[in-house]
Amino acid sequence: MTFWQVVQHSWGPLMDGLQVTIQLTLLSIVFGLALGLILALGKVYGLKPIRWFCTAFIEIIRGTPLLVQIFIFYFGLPPYGIRLSPLEAAVLAFSVNSGAYQAEYLRGAIQSIPSGQMQAALSMGMTRWQGIISIIMPQALRRVIPPWTNEFIYLLKYTSLAYIIGTQELMAQARFVASRNYEYFHTYLFAALIYLVVVLVFSEMFSWLERRVKIPGFEYHK
Amino acid sequence: MNKEKGSVLRIEDLHKSFGDNHVLRGVSLEIKRGETKILIGPSGTGKSTLLTCINMLTPPDSGKIWLLNDEITASRKVNLLRQKIGFVFQDFSLFNHLTALGNVSIGLTKVKGMDRKKAREKAMEELKQVGLGDKASSYPAQLSGGQKQRVAIARALAMDPQLILFDEPTSALDPELIGEVLTVMKKLANQGMTMLVVSHEMGFARSVADEVIFMEGGIIVEQGPPAQLFSNPRVERTGEFLSRLSSLFGEEDEK
Repeated sequence: MTFWQVVQHSWGPLMDGLQVTIQLTLLSIVFGLALGLILALGKVYGLKPIRWFCTAFIEIIRGTPLLVQIFIFYFGLPPYGIRLSPLEAAVLAFSVNSGAYQAEYLRGAIQSIPSGQMQAALSMGMTRWQGIISIIMPQALRRVIPPWTNEFIYLLKYTSLAYIIGTQELMAQARFVASRNYEYFHTYLFAALIYLVVVLVFSEMFSWLERRVKIPGFEYHK
Repeated sequence: MNKEKGSVLRIEDLHKSFGDNHVLRGVSLEIKRGETKILIGPSGTGKSTLLTCINMLTPPDSGKIWLLNDEITASRKVNLLRQKIGFVFQDFSLFNHLTALGNVSIGLTKVKGMDRKKAREKAMEELKQVGLGDKASSYPAQLSGGQKQRVAIARALAMDPQLILFDEPTSALDPELIGEVLTVMKKLANQGMTMLVVSHEMGFARSVADEVIFMEGGIIVEQGPPAQLFSNPRVERTGEFLSRLSSLFGEEDEK
């Protein structure tokens, strides 16, 4: 079979897989962002025990392999009565993992905002929380877009690991198709191209967003 | 009513240390309504620390501070009292993600709970007051240093403060931009705003200050009306410092 024939034959299942991949990525990045925000704020503004907890959580997650985490959530929980579907286990593992990385990007962005901004917010009578919400985060979130784009791209590609626990995402579908048509090279090449196109589309979207919310006249590295 | 008639700010025996560094060693001072006091002194002498203690951005170790009848140092709602004390920073500290108008109105909407439209109108008035009505939609990065500092002053004014603290408001500015900021500050002083200003602009001090306070080593060495302090200081050290200042900045400018 030529490459184009392989594309035609595998189009259906691979598009089904792509749908799951995107679903998995979007859910995980959003849950991860929520978790990352909590961890980052806890680490920067929290009291000592909270800071300590957030730091420990981030280090444990970043210091252990993603695959191990996926296995723990899928194979490790049923004995304790928590039985997750492959998709649920994957979303949970990716969210937790990505949350730890996103927390570090967010922390860096928050700490890069000059301390005078919070001082000015407090001096006009804002509470610390108002300062965080109205002054610090709007600036920090703008700064976090470039590293966050990287995290999104990593996550999108790492979701291919979910095939191991039986999630029917793009990689799993490609394996399934290839095991039938024996066109390993062409099938996986097609899968790789799909990942590439999706990555390019999303990174273009995020760089559009970055330009869109850019503060006029403001350079980050001044 | 005020305990002492007309007193806006009263500080009693304020102390502050950072580790072994005893920065404030018992500072007491009083500012009455409508007065402008200028704080001078060598760097590292506690002037800025004194200002940030007044609005509790730096909590003092001991001593008392009253704003009108409220003891700031005993208050559990410091942020409510901070609304009444404007603060103008050396490096402007404008909110970078907001326009000039946004900078001035955000305190009104977030802190005072004013509705958006009213807040924008009031913010616009304050910007006009500092001569920047035409820059309302500019972002801080699009403004000159002098314009930024004037926006910062408008931001402080918008909260209708009882007192404005200025921490070296012109020392981060190019020389040709200093005048526009001082002009605004003079106007405020003449309108009866109560101000405490850390500044070495002697011409400004001479023309608007009710009193000049010379601080060194964490204490007030001498204070008095500018004419007396500049021409006839009682303490030798004050004279030394002043002569060093005028040799640096040249003769003070005319009124």
